[in-house]
Amino acid sequence: MLVAISIALMTVWFREGDSGPLHRLRRGVQAVAAPVSATGEWITRPARGALAWASDLGVSRSRLEDLRAQNERLRARVAELEEARLENARLTELVGLTKAREIDSLAAHVIGRPANAWEGVITIDRGSDDGLTNGMPVLGPLGLLGQTVEVSPSSAKVRLITDPRSGVAAMLQATRADGIVRGSIDGRLTLDFVSVDETVTPGDVVITSGLGGVYPKGIVIGEVQSADRTPSALQQLIRITPASDPLTLEEVLVVLQSRATIEPKDGE
Amino acid sequence: MRRALPSVVAVLAAAVLQAGLAPHLAIRGVVPNVMLLVVVTIALVTGPGRGAAVGFAAGLTFDLLGTVAVGPMALVLTVVGYLAGLLHEAMFAEGWLLPLTVVAVSSLASEVLYGLVLDLIGFGVAFWATLVTKMLPAAMYNTVLALLVYPWLARLLRRERPMKTFRRLA
Repeated sequence: MLVAISIALMTVWFREGDSGPLHRLRRGVQAVAAPVSATGEWITRPARGALAWASDLGVSRSRLEDLRAQNERLRARVAELEEARLENARLTELVGLTKAREIDSLAAHVIGRPANAWEGVITIDRGSDDGLTNGMPVLGPLGLLGQTVEVSPSSAKVRLITDPRSGVAAMLQATRADGIVRGSIDGRLTLDFVSVDETVTPGDVVITSGLGGVYPKGIVIGEVQSADRTPSALQQLIRITPASDPLTLEEVLVVLQSRATIEPKDGE
Repeated sequence: MRRALPSVVAVLAAAVLQAGLAPHLAIRGVVPNVMLLVVVTIALVTGPGRGAAVGFAAGLTFDLLGTVAVGPMALVLTVVGYLAGLLHEAMFAEGWLLPLTVVAVSSLASEVLYGLVLDLIGFGVAFWATLVTKMLPAAMYNTVLALLVYPWLARLLRRERPMKTFRRLA
C-alpha cells in the first residue's frame, strides 16, 4: 500500500506543475527547514574554522614554494592585464560601446550545504521576497556556482554546476571552442562536445558562452584539468576544475538581471 | 497513539539532524543518512508494520528536504523498513553484531535502490561509478554512525527489554 502511494506521489510530482500541491508542500517544508539549516551552519562554524586552521598547519615546504612562485607569476600577469584594461577602456570609449556585461546582483549568505549525498544543492538566505525567481545565475568570488531552483519567500536552493542535472553552455577562453559543462554525481565537471580537432591544454580557462540565455557570457567556470583524446571518438574527454569550491563558500552573489551582449550606445 | 509517539519524535529529530547537522558531517561529498539509521533501528525494535510506516514517513521527509522528485526515498525506505522489521523476532536485546550487519546491508541496499529509482526517473546515474564513489562509502559511513545512534535509540524504544551490551556502549 505504502509502496503504491510512493509510486503515485512520484507520478503526481511529474504530472503537476510548479503550483501543484506537492510542489507547494516542498516549498513549505523548505521554508521551515531553512532556519534549521542556518542554525546548523552557525553552530558548526567554529568547528569548521578550527578544522581549516588545523589542516593549514600541515602545509608543506614545497607547497609554500609553489604558492610563492604562483604569486609572482600572478603579479606579473596583473601588471599585463592592467595595461590591457586601460587600453580596452580607451578603445571602448572610442568605438562607443556600452559595457560588455552589466550585472545587477544581490549578495546572499549560504545557510545550508547539500543535505544528502546525491544532490549538489546549497541553500541561501534570499528568496522571492528579495526578488529571486527560479533560474537566476549565482556567482562565487572566483566564478560561476549555479542557478536558483526551489525559491521560497525567505530562502532559495541553488543547484550547483557540479550537480548531475546541471548543464552550462561554455567555451574555452583561448580558442573560443564551444561546449557544454556538465556536473556528475561525484561532483566532477566535464566539458562535452569539444571536437578532437580543437587544441585543449591543461590550465585553459573555461567561461560561459552566453548561449541559451540562462548565464551571462564571460563568467569563469574553471580551468581545464585534463584533456584526453580517444582514437575513434568525435569529441574530447575534458575534465574541469571548478573556479570556486561551493562547499566552503559563505557568501554568494545572485544575478538578478544582466545584459550579456555588447550593444551600441544610443545615437551611435 | 502513545506507543507511536517515540517513533514520531525520532523521525522529527532525524529530520532536524539531516537538514542541520548531516551536511557538516560530509566526508568528500558523502553525507550520512540519519533518516535511514532511525528507520532501521525502529524497524528492528518494533517489527515490519511499524518499520514500513516509519520508513514511508522518513523517506517522504527526506524527499521533501531535497530537490529531486517527491517519492523515491519514501519508496526505498518503506521497503527497507519492512524488510529490516522482518528480523525483529530474531533480534537479541544484548546482541550488537546483527543490528550493525542489518544497518550495513540496509544502507547499501537503500543507496543502490535509490540510485536505480533515480535512474529510472531520468536523473542519469552512472551506476558503477556511483557505486564506488557514493554508495559503498555512504553504507560504511552510516554503519559507523549506527554505533552511536542504534544503542541510544533502541534503548529508548525498547524499555521492557534491557540491553546490557549496549548499555555499556551508550
